[in-house]
Amino acid sequence: MDFYFWLFATMAVCAGIFTIAARDPLPSALGLLTVFIACAALYLHLHAPLIAIFQVTIYAGAILVLVVFVIMLLTSPDERLSLLQANMSYRIMGVVLGACIIGLLAAGTKGLINIVGSKALPDGFGSPARFGDLFYRNYLLHFEVASVLLLVALIGGIYLAKKNL
Amino acid sequence: MVTLTHYVVLSSILFGLGAIGFLTRRNAMILFMSVELMLNAVNLMLVAFSEFRADMAGQVMVIFIYAVAAAEVAVGLAILIGLFRHVRSVDINKFNVLKW
Repeated sequence: MDFYFWLFATMAVCAGIFTIAARDPLPSALGLLTVFIACAALYLHLHAPLIAIFQVTIYAGAILVLVVFVIMLLTSPDERLSLLQANMSYRIMGVVLGACIIGLLAAGTKGLINIVGSKALPDGFGSPARFGDLFYRNYLLHFEVASVLLLVALIGGIYLAKKNL
Repeated sequence: MVTLTHYVVLSSILFGLGAIGFLTRRNAMILFMSVELMLNAVNLMLVAFSEFRADMAGQVMVIFIYAVAAAEVAVGLAILIGLFRHVRSVDINKFNVLKW
């Protein structure tokens, strides 16, 4: 259990250093992806399986794909060619990312019981049912405000990306 | 035994890395990713406190941070594309139109 924390904490810190130290933005995005996946693994350790799933789908899925898309859009064809040629840092990062995903999968198949700490927590702590109950009972107004925020961001994003700004 | 301190130190390190990256890098895309790194560190801190105080409200806050991060990325990347159209670069030293 302790090993699980140290493994993914080390991975997150190493990948974080890589994120800010990489020369090109694309390897940097790869490092950020590793940070997100390592954090998702740590959320499993912290009795938050739902947050771990959201981390993988929203952060590593949606947001990072958008970032990589814009990176590819904003680099000239010559730069893009040099980005795609695999150098050493790419390979090291690929190995770390692969280890991270394999670790997450192994943790998932092994079952949550062996990962999470055996502390005295309320029954069903972190389960999606308890989460939804709390979310839609106590934080309904906040949820609606967040949806308005997302709508405003959607309209603003479309307006700003228009050609004749 | 992993305690709350471990998680606080880990997320402080991640937040510090994000702050250093934001202040030192000159590529606008990497600045963006540094901000994401800082938001992620805050999420980790919230979930850790939620666990060690046995209060699930911290996990709910993480969902709101996800919404804010998604909005930030959508608007920020649109601004970046607009800037790129004007300047043809992602180097923030070239974004000096508003400089006095």
